[in-house]
Amino acid sequence: MIEAQGLVKTFGSLRAVDGVGFTVRKGELYGLLGPNGAGKTTTMSMLAGLLAPDEGQIRFGGIDLAARPLEVKRQLGVVPQEPALYETLTARENLRFWGGLYGLSGRDLAGAVDRVLDLVGLADRAAEPIRGYSGGMKRRLNLALGLVHGPSAVLMDEPTVGIDPQARLKILEAVKGVAAAGTTVIYTTHYLEEAEELCDRIAIMDHGKLLAEGTLEELIRRVGGRELVTVRGAFAPQALREVVASLPGVTVTAEEPGRFVLTVDGSGRGAVEVLGRVLGAGLDVHGVSVQPPSLNMLFLNLTGRELRD
Amino acid sequence: MIRLVPHLVAKDLKRKARSPLGLLIVLSFPVLFAGMIALAFGRGGDAVPKVRMLMANEDDGLLGSALASAFSAPQASRVFETRAVSAHDGHELMERGKASALLVVPAGFTRDLLDGRAVTLRLTRNPSEGILPEIAEQTAGILVDVLEGGRRVLDEPLAQLRPLLDARDGAPSDAEITAIALLVKRALEKSGDLVFPPAITLESELLGSRNPHAVAGKEAGGTTSAIFLLILPGIAVYAIFLVGDQAMRDVMTERTLGTLRRQLAGPVTVGTYVVGKAATTALLCLLSLAVLTAVGALALRSPVSVAAFMVVSLALVLAITGTSAIIYGLARTERQAATLSSLIYLVMAFVGGSFFRIESLPAFLRNVAPFTPFYWATQAYREILEKGAGPAAVLTHAAILAAMGGTFLALGGVALHRAARRGATA
Repeated sequence: MIEAQGLVKTFGSLRAVDGVGFTVRKGELYGLLGPNGAGKTTTMSMLAGLLAPDEGQIRFGGIDLAARPLEVKRQLGVVPQEPALYETLTARENLRFWGGLYGLSGRDLAGAVDRVLDLVGLADRAAEPIRGYSGGMKRRLNLALGLVHGPSAVLMDEPTVGIDPQARLKILEAVKGVAAAGTTVIYTTHYLEEAEELCDRIAIMDHGKLLAEGTLEELIRRVGGRELVTVRGAFAPQALREVVASLPGVTVTAEEPGRFVLTVDGSGRGAVEVLGRVLGAGLDVHGVSVQPPSLNMLFLNLTGRELRD
Repeated sequence: MIRLVPHLVAKDLKRKARSPLGLLIVLSFPVLFAGMIALAFGRGGDAVPKVRMLMANEDDGLLGSALASAFSAPQASRVFETRAVSAHDGHELMERGKASALLVVPAGFTRDLLDGRAVTLRLTRNPSEGILPEIAEQTAGILVDVLEGGRRVLDEPLAQLRPLLDARDGAPSDAEITAIALLVKRALEKSGDLVFPPAITLESELLGSRNPHAVAGKEAGGTTSAIFLLILPGIAVYAIFLVGDQAMRDVMTERTLGTLRRQLAGPVTVGTYVVGKAATTALLCLLSLAVLTAVGALALRSPVSVAAFMVVSLALVLAITGTSAIIYGLARTERQAATLSSLIYLVMAFVGGSFFRIESLPAFLRNVAPFTPFYWATQAYREILEKGAGPAAVLTHAAILAAMGGTFLALGGVALHRAARRGATA
């Protein structure tokens, strides 16, 4: 359905997207996961036809975006990161405008508007000017505007940034509903949980490059049976290094003042033994946490830093 | 594009209708401004203050009396309220701010003038009364010129007349009078065309009535509406430019809202978007013109050419759309655009004669004025309203205005196209 090959985009000396390529199948919910500045939004802008790639090619259903942009854009829905709405109009008027832009009219338009209002749970507030909406409601309407014309593929660029958990939940439910209806979705996020919960396949991006791609299970398998142990406290880094040096399969993955992240593979007795040694060494430990294999661990292994950094 | 442009325009008009305050303020500006000036200066004609003139005539001769009485003549009395005083009293009244100006005719004025000696009339002006003392000064200057010219032309007969004026022993004989009369006749014949007919004729006409005597026989409120219509065209042209500016500013607003990106990610091309904004701007300007025209029509006393008005208005709308397209195409930010447009419109309105009549501007500004669309629009509307001009009389104005607009729109369209692309990728 969507093919991106060798995408490159540079801004001055910055190579924002560096050889990114992937294929998204019809009806698939594909996640682009990466921290801020990873190149996700630039990739989405190229997919939406707003930015021309310096190199590479994008095809939607076999149609070259660069050659026939309007044909592609008519089948595409876009949900930008920041709500792009007309605040003096009501939700229904906004939806009617965007639906009309794609050629919907009459009953088709009215039906489509009602359908997406129900989907995002705004039917009862549809007649109000949206300048009175909360941030979460605006984001839900922002999602609805990208869906009103019934696109075959939707690009969603971090649609849940900066909203309360309840509103996020509603948006995630709506996204699942869209995907369940057979719409192809490319979804960017820097929230691990969202990617894990929503996406059929996930691509991990950082510094403009696509580092890994696969289903959640495939990606976690790349981590192996390893666990992540985080130790916080007031101690000399060298002291902790000496404690774990003698333990097989334990490596210091990340280090910052007062906080150490250790990767523990399955060759020894795992996290339990590490914790015993650390606590028994008389170090001033304030807290420890153990994470099972996860996307965060994969990201850490691939980039040397955690996704939340 | 044909399907999308009306859709885009309808959306923009609906947004404007939901948030009309800015537009209403801009539209009320010319009406209030012209209305206030008309009320201040036009109520029944009597509200215009008279020049309070003090006349201290210390001369006992004929010409001193003639000069003094000139300010009391029926025609002058519409402008001047003249009071005869002594020089001492006059200065005292001036000190107390009780008059606009004091004119002192010195003793021996008539004799000195007839003898060809230099004479000085002393005019003291009240600086606190703005333009009124200036009127007194201008009028006195004209009278001095008349007297000076008369003395030179009638130099020979005056030489004959002088002994008779000095003689105290009875009236001159018929023969003497006949001889002097013949000398006067010859002198005037020599001056011929220079003096008759007079080189300058002042004919007053009340705007809207096209009746030269209407000023004298003013009807109630007639002057108010005349002044209103005198002020309105220029200020209205300025206001319509501001309406166009507001409409085109939406390019920047949509960039900030993110809706520009969203449209361009959909089936809207940059070209369609630009045409949509230009069409919205033109339509809003036309609507605003209709509103201001309706207000102006209330003050109008006689019909004007609708065809001429339409021709000029359409050309003006084209010029406004083009000008605003250039400004918003070149500006990088909304603030930059707002500053740029305020400056450009203010300067063009001033230079183009929208705020002050072009005749009252310095010569170098009058030479620059035709390079602004404000000039052609304001002049054309004044021709229509003040002189009852038809389409043929304002065709040149409209053609130049349309040519300017077309050129600006072509250049502005390209600039706006680039700006919209920048906005899409920002």
